[in-house]
Amino acid sequence: MLLRICHTTRFEYQAPAYDSHNEARMRPLEGATQRCVEFELELMPNSSTFEYDDYYGNRVYGFSIHDPHPNLIVAAKSLVERMPAAPPPAIPTPFGEYLLEDHVRNRTEYDFLNASRHVPFSEPMRKFFWLAKPDPSEDVAAYANRIVAFIRDQFVYEPGMTKVHSTADEILSVGGGVCQDFAHLTIGVLRLAGIPTRYVSGYLAPAAKSMVETVGAQASHAWLEAQLPGQGWTGFDPTNGCMVDERHIRVAIGRDYSDVPPLRGVYRSHGGKQLMSVELQIEPLPDAPRPTDPSNSSNQQNQQ
Amino acid sequence: MPDWAAYKPDANVFDEMMDLSSQPRDGCAGVIDTMFSMPPAQFTEICARADRMFRRMGVTFNVYGAADGSERIFPFDPIPRVIDASTWATLEAGLIQRVRALNAFVADVYGEGCVLSDGVVPRDLVLGCPQFRRAAVGIKPPLGNFVTVAGIDLVRGADGRFYVLEDNVRTPSGVSYVIENRVVMTRLVPTLMRASRVRSVERYPADLLQCLMEMSPSGKSNPTIALLTPGPFNSAFFEHVFLSQQMGIELVEGVDLVCVDRKLYMKDVHGLRQIDVLYRRIDDDFLDPLVFRPDSLLGVAGLTAVLRAGNAAIANGVGTGVADDKAVYAYTPAMIRYYLAEEPILPIVETYLLRDPEVREQVLKNLERYVVKPTGASGGYGVVIGPKASEQELAETRERIINDPSAFIAQPVIALSVHPTIIHNGSESGMRLMPRHIDFRPFVLLGAKPRVLAGGLTRVALREGSLIVNSSQGGGSKDTWVLEA
Amino acid sequence: MLRRIASHLFWTARNLERAEWRARLLDVNYHLLIESPPRDAQPWAPLLAIFGERELFAEAYTTADDASILNFFALDIDNPNSIRSCIDNARNNAISLRHYISSELWLDLNTLYLNAQEWTPELFISPGVFAFFADLKDSFYRLSGILQSTIPRDIAYDFMQLGIMLERTEDVSRMLDVKYHFLLPRLEDVGGSLDILQWAAVLRSASGLEAYRKRFGNAIKIDNVVEFLLFDSTFPRSARFSLAMLETSLNSIKREAPEPSPPSAQLEELLALMRSKRSLEVIKSGLHQFLLQIQDGCAALGDEVFQRYLRTD
Repeated sequence: MLLRICHTTRFEYQAPAYDSHNEARMRPLEGATQRCVEFELELMPNSSTFEYDDYYGNRVYGFSIHDPHPNLIVAAKSLVERMPAAPPPAIPTPFGEYLLEDHVRNRTEYDFLNASRHVPFSEPMRKFFWLAKPDPSEDVAAYANRIVAFIRDQFVYEPGMTKVHSTADEILSVGGGVCQDFAHLTIGVLRLAGIPTRYVSGYLAPAAKSMVETVGAQASHAWLEAQLPGQGWTGFDPTNGCMVDERHIRVAIGRDYSDVPPLRGVYRSHGGKQLMSVELQIEPLPDAPRPTDPSNSSNQQNQQ
Repeated sequence: MPDWAAYKPDANVFDEMMDLSSQPRDGCAGVIDTMFSMPPAQFTEICARADRMFRRMGVTFNVYGAADGSERIFPFDPIPRVIDASTWATLEAGLIQRVRALNAFVADVYGEGCVLSDGVVPRDLVLGCPQFRRAAVGIKPPLGNFVTVAGIDLVRGADGRFYVLEDNVRTPSGVSYVIENRVVMTRLVPTLMRASRVRSVERYPADLLQCLMEMSPSGKSNPTIALLTPGPFNSAFFEHVFLSQQMGIELVEGVDLVCVDRKLYMKDVHGLRQIDVLYRRIDDDFLDPLVFRPDSLLGVAGLTAVLRAGNAAIANGVGTGVADDKAVYAYTPAMIRYYLAEEPILPIVETYLLRDPEVREQVLKNLERYVVKPTGASGGYGVVIGPKASEQELAETRERIINDPSAFIAQPVIALSVHPTIIHNGSESGMRLMPRHIDFRPFVLLGAKPRVLAGGLTRVALREGSLIVNSSQGGGSKDTWVLEA
Repeated sequence: MLRRIASHLFWTARNLERAEWRARLLDVNYHLLIESPPRDAQPWAPLLAIFGERELFAEAYTTADDASILNFFALDIDNPNSIRSCIDNARNNAISLRHYISSELWLDLNTLYLNAQEWTPELFISPGVFAFFADLKDSFYRLSGILQSTIPRDIAYDFMQLGIMLERTEDVSRMLDVKYHFLLPRLEDVGGSLDILQWAAVLRSASGLEAYRKRFGNAIKIDNVVEFLLFDSTFPRSARFSLAMLETSLNSIKREAPEPSPPSAQLEELLALMRSKRSLEVIKSGLHQFLLQIQDGCAALGDEVFQRYLRTD
C-alpha cells in the first residue's frame, strides 16, 4: 500500500516568537514492512534544517528561526510504502521459563523493561498489574494479547480526561484517556511482566480508500511494540484492542511519549500564548506499476 | 602557645602530623617547630590577619540574601597540611591513572560501549544511572576528552593509606580556595614556607587555560574561551569570577549566549562573538532547554546540536556524571585494568552495591556499622553514617533502601585521618589545638596530556568527631603543602 | 564587552545620577518653601508635574504636604524613581559588576544601599531634613569620587559615562523647566525677589551658584542662568558639557567596533539642536518647548543606545 501523508502543525503567537529552536521527529521509519519513499519538511518561515539520528534511531530534523515571527507552520510531507508483514513464527514460551532469562534481558533491553517518565512503576501501576498477572504456565505472547484486550475493555477512549504530560497513573485514576494513555498503561503492565516493550508514535491510515482529514491535536496515533519470543518486536494497538496492521505507519520509537514528540521546541517571546492547530491528511494511492523486483516478496497486485 | 603537650595522637586514627610516639611525620618538623612555639597572642593575630585578608579578597561562599548584604568566609585553619614528595609521587601517578580511566570510560559509554558489551561494567547499571545522558551518544569531543577537570576526593585510613572516597567529574569546585589559601599563607608564614620548599599552585589557572585551548575544535591559534556561570546567586560564584579573571576569559551567563547555524556565540556590544570552548559550571540538566529541562534559563537552546556538529566543545562534556555515580565507582578498579592494563595505584573504599539482594541482606542486618550513600548525589548530602545515626534515622534508611535498592550503596566506616586544628573556645588562651578529621581534594586536568595540581583542598570537619567536611555543613579548609623532592 | 554587562554598567551609573538629582531637587525646593511662604495651594505640584508622577502620587497619597512629598520622592519603594528605588536599582545592577568595578566602589555603594534599607520617615524629624540631605549629598560625592578615580578609562567607563551624561542632560533641563514653566506664573513677579530666590535655588541645586557668579557676576538674570545651565561649555553640569562628554564616550565605544559603524543619528540631532540656539533666542521662542525637545532627544538617544548596544533579546 502506498500512502501520501501530510502532517501540518500551525503555531500562532500572541506576541511574535524569536530565537526559536526545534526538533521534529516526523519522518516515517524504515523497516521490513515500511519504506519511506519520499520525505520533505516544509517550514514557514523558511529555514535550513540539519538531520541526525537520535538514541533510538529516529531521524531528527533540527531547525531554528531567529527573527521574530507571528506564525510557524511545519509541514511534514511523506510518501510511504507499507508492505504486509511476514513475521517469523512465535515460539511458545511459558512465563516460568521466560523469566529465567530476565536478568539477561534487563541488560540488553534495559530502557524498554524499566520505568520511564510517563510509565512509572508506581503503587497504582503495580496493583493494576497484579490484577491480571501472568501465571507461570501462561504463554508470553498469549499474555500480551490478553492484556491488550483487557485494557481495551476496562478503559474508555475519551479525549479531555488526561493531559499531554500525564503519566500512566492518570488513566488508572480517571478510567479513560487517549491513545497515548492506553499505550503507556499497556507498556507499564507488559514491562512489569518482564516483556521488553517500546512506545511507537505514528499514524493510522483510513480503513476505506478515501482520504482522511483529521483536525485537532490528536493527529498522531500511539501504540506499542513488545518483544515476543521468536517473533521479535510485535506491534499492538491497545486503543483499538488489536494487533497492528498495514494501516499503522511507524514514525518514531522510544521509551514513552517524551522520547518521541513529533515536534519539540523552545522559543522566546514577550509574553502571550501560543496557539497550536494540527492537520493530518492521509491519502492511499493506487500502487504504481513497478519493475519486477524478485527480492520483494510482497509485490502484490494493484489495490482498488 | 597552644598547649603542645596536651595534643596526643589517638591510637585509633591516623594523625597526619605525628606518629604515636609524638614524633613529627616526614616534612612536618618545620611546621611543628615554627608554628607550635608561637604564643597564643601571635596565633590570634595570625587568625585575625587571615580573616581580614580573605574578606578583602572577597573569598566568600554565597550569599546575596535579600536584605542581608553580609557574606560568609569559608573558615580557614592556619596550620598547613603537609604531604612529602615521595607520598605525593604515588598520589600523582594514581590520580593520573584514575582520571585517564574515567575519561576513557565516559568516552566509551557514549561511543562504542565496549566496556558494557564486554561485561566489565553492567550495562543496566549505566543505563539506569540518572546521569547517563542519551543525548550525548554520538557527540565526539576534541581529543576524545569528556573529562577536562576532575576533583578526586581522597581520605587517609587508620593504616595511613590514601583511599579514593569519591570522584567529581561534573563541575568540581574548590580550587579557588586552594589558590587563595596559599596567597594568605604566603603572607602569614613566609619564612617557614620558603624553608619548607613548598611546590607552587599558582600555575593552575594557566594550566587550565592551556587545557581548554587544547579542546578547541577548529584548531584555531587563538580560540575564544568563556566560563559559563549560573550567576551571582550561586554559592560557587566567587570561584567562577576568580578563575575567569585569572585566565583572562569572559564570564558569561545563559542570557549572554545564542546558537546560530549550530555555532555558539556570545552577545557582545558590537555583535556576536563566536565561542570555541565553553568551561561550563552548570549542570547537564540546565545546559540546553531544547534537550534537557525546558524551563532552564541558565543554558542556551541548541547547544547540544552545536556540540554534535563539532563547532564548539564544552568542559566537562555532557554526561560525565555517569562516571561519578557511586555505584559505578565500585567498578573503577576494573576500568583501570580494562582501559590501561594496569593495576590501580590508589585503592577505593570497599563498596557494597545494595541492588544485589544477598549483599543487601547482609548490610541491612548490620546497618549501624555502615555508611550509606545515595548513588546519584554528590558531596555529603543524603549520607547516613551508621554508628552515629539515631534509631529513627536507621529505620528510615532501611525503608529507603528496601524501596529503591539500586539508589544506594554502603561502605564500611573509615576512620578518617586527623590533623591538629585550632579550635576557638572559652579556654584561657581562647584557643586549643585539637585533632579534627580531614579529607583531601586534589585537582587533575586532562588536556592533550594530564596535569595534576601540586596541592589541593584539604577540608577539615570543625565539629568534634564530625566526619562531614562540606563548607555548607560546618567545614573549613587548610592550605596543603606538597614539598619538593 | 558583553551586552548584559554594558547594560548593568549603564544602569548602575544612570540610577546613581538620577538619585542624586532627585535628592538635590528635593532638598533645594524643600528649603525654598520654608524660606518663602507658599502662595499656591499646591506648592509641590510643579515638582510632581515635571517628573510626570502626579498620578502615581495621587494613587497612594491623599494630600500633598511636606511629609507625603518627602516620603514619595525619597523613601517610597512603590515609586520606581524615588531616591531609595534608584539606589536599590543601582546596587542590584552592580551585583553582577563585582569584577568590573573596584571593590571600593562596590563596598561604598553596598553600604549606601544597606543604609537606605533602614530609612524611615522619622529621619525627617530627627536628625531632620537638612541633615538627611547633607549626608546623602556626601554619599553621592564620595561615590562619584571613587568612580572617577578608580575606574580605568576603558569601555566599562564609557558605558557608565553614557548613563551618567544622558541622565544629567535630561535632569538639568527638567530642573530648568520646573522653575521656568511651573513656578511663578504671574508676569509681574518676574524679576522680583521671589523670582531671584527661585533662580538662585536652581543654581544651587546644580551646585553652580559660585561658578555662575564667576562668569556672570552677582546679578541673577534668567537669560544668563539659562545660558549657564544649558550652553556653558565648562561647567560640569551644563547640558552642553554633558552632551560633549557623552559624545566622547560614544565615539570611544564606536572606535572599538571590529567594523566601522554608522554615527548616532539621535546624538547628531541633539548636538545640532544645542548648537543652533543661544539662550536669548531660546527664551524668546519658548524655553519650555526647547527643554521638551532636549528631553525628547535624550529619550530617543537612550532608545538608540539600548537597541544598538545593550539589548540582549
